[in-house]
Amino acid sequence: MSSTLHNHAALSEVSIDSPSQLDIKINVNYRQFTLTIQLPIPLKGITGIFGHSASGKSTLLRAIAGLEQTLEGEITLADKKLVDTKQGLYLKPEQRQVGLVFQNSRLFDHLSVLANLEYAVKRCKNNKLSLDEIIKLTELTALLDHRVTELSGGQQQRAALARAILAEPKLLLLDEPLSALDQHSKAQLLKMMLTIQKKLNLPMLYVSHSLDELQQVCDTLIVMSKGKVIDSGNIHQVIHRLNSYGDADIMHQQTSLSLPIKQFDNGHGLTTLALNAKQDIFLLANEDFEQQTLLRCFILASDISISLTEASDSSIVNHICGTIKQISHQRNNVLVTVHCNSQDFFVMISAFSLQKLSLTIKQQVYLQFKAGAVRTFIH
Amino acid sequence: MINSDLQALITTLEMAALTTVILLIIGTPLAWYLAKMTSRFKVIIEAVVALPLVLPPTVLGFYLLIAFSPEHLPGQLWQQTTGQQLAFSFSAIVIGSVLYSLPFVVQPLQKAFEQLGDSLLEAGALLGAGPIDRFFSIVLPLTKASFITAASLGFAHTVGEFGVILMIGGNIPGETRVLSIALFDHVEAFDYARAHLLAISLLIGSMVLLAAIYWLNLPKRPQDKARMEQKESLTYE
Repeated sequence: MSSTLHNHAALSEVSIDSPSQLDIKINVNYRQFTLTIQLPIPLKGITGIFGHSASGKSTLLRAIAGLEQTLEGEITLADKKLVDTKQGLYLKPEQRQVGLVFQNSRLFDHLSVLANLEYAVKRCKNNKLSLDEIIKLTELTALLDHRVTELSGGQQQRAALARAILAEPKLLLLDEPLSALDQHSKAQLLKMMLTIQKKLNLPMLYVSHSLDELQQVCDTLIVMSKGKVIDSGNIHQVIHRLNSYGDADIMHQQTSLSLPIKQFDNGHGLTTLALNAKQDIFLLANEDFEQQTLLRCFILASDISISLTEASDSSIVNHICGTIKQISHQRNNVLVTVHCNSQDFFVMISAFSLQKLSLTIKQQVYLQFKAGAVRTFIH
Repeated sequence: MINSDLQALITTLEMAALTTVILLIIGTPLAWYLAKMTSRFKVIIEAVVALPLVLPPTVLGFYLLIAFSPEHLPGQLWQQTTGQQLAFSFSAIVIGSVLYSLPFVVQPLQKAFEQLGDSLLEAGALLGAGPIDRFFSIVLPLTKASFITAASLGFAHTVGEFGVILMIGGNIPGETRVLSIALFDHVEAFDYARAHLLAISLLIGSMVLLAAIYWLNLPKRPQDKARMEQKESLTYE
């Protein structure tokens, strides 16, 4: 019951977004690098762009922002053509109403924090947003009179985020905005991005090489490699498809989930998530969960084990029954996909265990993982 | 100071001030263009701009004298439009000074623009600032020190100019007779007392100007130190 209720809440939140789209058909040619993108991106919530460094993620953002001069093709934002090289149309960055938060804040050193924010406000045509509200949302109130050189990395990025928003863009691009920050600042800024996205209904394109960051905030994920889009779609489905690449350099193989919170604390410090009508998943409670209805989490494939019978005498709290859907060998390990009531789980076991248990497709098994294995982000 | 020397001082200051203004107006876009230029021809333009640094001033003066004469096109054009001869005029020494002091203005500006880079300008553009707006709101405040250096060096170097003016300006009181020429005159006439007076005032004047430039470009030490300490404490908050 409760799970369907939460799902409804989640859906209505998404549908507030104005249905607009970013259409990209471009070619960028450098001597050693070619970027070819043909992709309609629905602008809903935060869309992640994931890939190795040098996969073309940043070039794509720069092309959308108007900072990439050597490109051919078309870019259309909602109904507005930003670029159409056949027609000789190339809007300058200042004409696009696209914001960009860079890896390093790029604040103006000669201005105070407040003056940096006012720089955007003065040049904004709409002025619908209240400066005070944005300052409050980005927690900059105490820092307004400071010079930007006096700020810590996290504070600088918050100021850069606030400044970009105050220009009231139709689309906000984020190019690795967290990569230079410590864990605490990262978590804080991610939370801020989510709040701002929901409050202002501002679509965002968020580039990162860290899947960990992306899956905390993104609904849709685009995966790039060598200047091309290799996958895109619902973030959980894309991550599950990425599992089969077996590329440990870019990601940990995992089961990625968005589950409704059934009970914040079961009295023993565990939060209960509803996997489906019958089965729950337990994880360690965190005060951050308190105000959420839906929780993003993931379980690394190496953190789950398989058992043929349900263990009732184990300290492990999560036991889930399912049937084996797929078995694929990856180097010395085996990635087993287990289907449990419309949800796939990914389990990494050794080839030795596979033989010992003589696992086969369609066999019924029990998955086991500790509460601590259900993570919301990697420390 | 004697009347004729005072007149030479006024002519010198007028020439240097006008030259500095012209240099800032043409030197800024030229320096900007050079800083952003990636073409192969960049080195050639840079070499041309830097030429007055190594060329004997008399060489530049000689070619300018020929160009400014009424027999040649630049001199002819000038005479047709203004009705006056260009060679041996105040305008001639200003044009000569502009060319001669060009590297002193262009080079510090070019270096400043190169160091500034594109990143802040890109940020400005994405906040809706057009090119002119970006120049005045970002480039100028951040390269203010280099503008002061460029203007002061251009001014000081023009005040100290001798060879070019001697070639194209001659020695007309109130028109082209500047301090360095007046000094030379006094020496020629064995009037060492007046030569000393001019020489020492030029020396002290230049010294004061240069000291002022370096003082202006000095980081404001105590405040900076306080700022650094504050930054450190913020990082470990």
